Amino acid sequence: MARFVLHRLVLTIPALFGLLVLTFIMLRVVPNDPSAALAGENATPEQIAEVRRAYGFDQPLWKQFVIYVGQVGTGNLGNSIISNRPVLRDIADRLPATIELTFVSLLFATVVGIPIGAIAAVWYQSLFDHAVRVLTVAGLAIASFWFAIILQMIFAMELDWLPLRGRFPEGLAPPYHLTGLYIVDSLLTLRFDLLGRAAEYILMPAFTLSLAGLASIARFTRAGVLETLQKEFVHYAEAAGYPRLRIIWVYVLRNSVVGATTQIGLLFGGLISSAVAVEAIFDWPGVGSYAVNAILSSDYKAVLAITLVVGLIYALVNIMVDVVHAWLDPRVAEKL
Amino acid sequence: MKRRTFLMGGSAVVTAAMMGERAAFALPGSDELIWADDLPGTLDPHAVSDVPMQGYMINVYDTLYVNKQNPPKLVPWLATGHTVSDGGLTFTFKLRDGAKFHDGHPLTSDDVVWSFKRMLAIKKGPAAAFLPVLDPNGVTAPDPTTVVFKLKRLYAPFLAATPLMAILNRRLVEANVKDNDWGQGWLATNAAGSGSYIPDIEGYQPVQKLDLKRNRDHFMGWSDNTAPIETVRRRPIRETTTRVNALIKGDVDCTDSYLPPDQVERVMASKTATVSKDQSMRLMTLRMNNRKAPFDNLNFRLAVSHAFNYKGFIDGVLKGYAVRNAGPIPVNLWGAPQDLPAYELDLDKAKDYLAKAKAEGAPVDREIEIHIQEHLAQTTQAAQILQQGLRKIGVNLKIIPNLWPQLISSTAKPETTPDMWAHWVSSYFIDPENWIGQMYDSQFHGTWKASSWYKNEKVDSLLHAARGLEAKDQRQALYEQASRIIVADAVDIWIYNGVELRGISKRLRGFNFTPIGSGADFRTMWLAS
Repeated sequence: MARFVLHRLVLTIPALFGLLVLTFIMLRVVPNDPSAALAGENATPEQIAEVRRAYGFDQPLWKQFVIYVGQVGTGNLGNSIISNRPVLRDIADRLPATIELTFVSLLFATVVGIPIGAIAAVWYQSLFDHAVRVLTVAGLAIASFWFAIILQMIFAMELDWLPLRGRFPEGLAPPYHLTGLYIVDSLLTLRFDLLGRAAEYILMPAFTLSLAGLASIARFTRAGVLETLQKEFVHYAEAAGYPRLRIIWVYVLRNSVVGATTQIGLLFGGLISSAVAVEAIFDWPGVGSYAVNAILSSDYKAVLAITLVVGLIYALVNIMVDVVHAWLDPRVAEKL
Repeated sequence: MKRRTFLMGGSAVVTAAMMGERAAFALPGSDELIWADDLPGTLDPHAVSDVPMQGYMINVYDTLYVNKQNPPKLVPWLATGHTVSDGGLTFTFKLRDGAKFHDGHPLTSDDVVWSFKRMLAIKKGPAAAFLPVLDPNGVTAPDPTTVVFKLKRLYAPFLAATPLMAILNRRLVEANVKDNDWGQGWLATNAAGSGSYIPDIEGYQPVQKLDLKRNRDHFMGWSDNTAPIETVRRRPIRETTTRVNALIKGDVDCTDSYLPPDQVERVMASKTATVSKDQSMRLMTLRMNNRKAPFDNLNFRLAVSHAFNYKGFIDGVLKGYAVRNAGPIPVNLWGAPQDLPAYELDLDKAKDYLAKAKAEGAPVDREIEIHIQEHLAQTTQAAQILQQGLRKIGVNLKIIPNLWPQLISSTAKPETTPDMWAHWVSSYFIDPENWIGQMYDSQFHGTWKASSWYKNEKVDSLLHAARGLEAKDQRQALYEQASRIIVADAVDIWIYNGVELRGISKRLRGFNFTPIGSGADFRTMWLAS
């Protein structure tokens, strides 16, 4: 297993390099020279040219890329060309918010998606099954920004049950910074009052973000359970007189969720990219809103850094999923 | 961690969330204002000079002169006044007594001189307005309250540009210089000002969160405001719907100043908020690349100018919240001829001009392109209205989404500049030079402002002469003359001068709109209980 993990980690390096090359090219082949923006609104062409020289934007693209990769190789992702701050610091400030949002969404998607998918399969062709099928199609089809606004209108504006926006109440100090994840930090410091506040704020954005994943996991689980229910060992267990609940819980579900775990890993990348819209609507201070700002201001170093960091997280989560996969199904581990 | 433990932990979080006592969600306190407008990308006022920076700078930094009221009036601020001599080349400013930086250090002419030298050295943001006419040796301080500027050549807009230049605390910035960077690394996330509000740097999160505390020792005193706001929390909210909802709910005290017209009635109908509607100097223009065929043909440009439904756009899309602006200077600024005939939608005329252009050999059958800024819906709507008009006269217009940085990069050369594109010219350098001067003088070719690639020697000489004259009435005559020529040449499509629409909480009082900073001058405001 350790060899497998190491192997996968090593393979991550060329994958990330490929990602870097692609992103750099995509960002810089279009006419996209930040010099004009940096030189100021009233700049003359000569002043713009001077800024271009000062930042090295007049150098051939390959040279700029080599210089950048050299920097990245030393762990320096550079400074934002707009704010002049190290982009890694900006990302480190915001990443915990996105990670927290993504994991809570994943938690929703899993703890709700797997049981409803399983129940729908067990009660195949029942009213519940039909309802789950309709709702999961809707969950996949509904645009997250539309759903977010509907939730806001109902739960924040009309009922006033949940906060409209943000991550934590204004003027209230967040939990002591241990991980930057407010829920985790509240639990670790036993500040259950703050846990409640953090949970209130994350509920709507996380649920919005989880919707498509929840639907996808439910469908996947339903299909997996239906397939497993047809297997011979299930028929054998039934014939042997095992209680039905035990058959489903111990044999069917365990065999069915192996596929769903792969789905969860794939979902993670999707959730991080979907988080951009959800973060904007709920004013969630994560890397999504930072990425949008960076793109709109052509801050290519910030965009590259976010791509790299998110790519790295995505790769690590997929490695973790493989490990869980192997733990659930020892046959997988043997193949590794 | 065992699976059971993990699941129990997860459930605990969800249960805590679901069962936690319903909170009284934090609403702004009675002495704090939550201002939901954009923050600048950096806190260094010499690094950028855009609209969000103006909203920050006017509160945290002081300048020699400031713009107040609407239309803006230039009034002395750090300076008590100025004199001009040497045929308009030497400006001498006298500073007020008693101005102090936030750290208590007195603000002297030495800080002013050093600030200008820094700005000229780093050549960013506001520097562009000064670099052509000022070099570092041209700024001197004969005594602690006098600053002298010796210009390289006569430049009438100089005084109007001084509000762009924040005066920094030399001692503080110099203590934080690294590798001769003029303190740029430090000032990007710190402050060294003397303004009415002091930023809380500890809690600052770039472009996301900044708290300001009132500077009780500000040199202007606070006698003109009996209940000034102690704390201003600046919280940009990217999404318009969320911003409007937050305002109506009472979570924040304002939206940005570009509230979509379709949200105005909703805000006005609420119990908690209203909309401040103020004519600005923000000019919306559809540019035409006069170097590219068929836009190099006057008759074709006239055809396009008559194919846009100006009234439909202003009354329908903008619900009347804009003022028709017939030419390249905002109608409420001197220099704009008041009798300028405006182009109107007239498809018969458009067809006639198109036929003439075709007869002159212009390739009018080719598909033309307009680039819009895809996150600004109004640019799409304007392009669609033009598309409808052009379709009726047989011209095919393709709409291409783009982003601001790409667009302004593309305007470096005539070949890469789009056939047409949509933008606004903002207002924080209040002089016709900011509009007509930089948009239609061919010396600015290669900048986004001059992206029509228009060249008319008569216009060049008028604009050159206008910026070199001291007397405002003489300058005004030249700008009016140049405007008439440019409009007759149908260089671009000038649509409207904006009415800025900012949703504001009903508890907010003393909101005084000035186009610079879009009314974000907190020193005049207070909160009703």
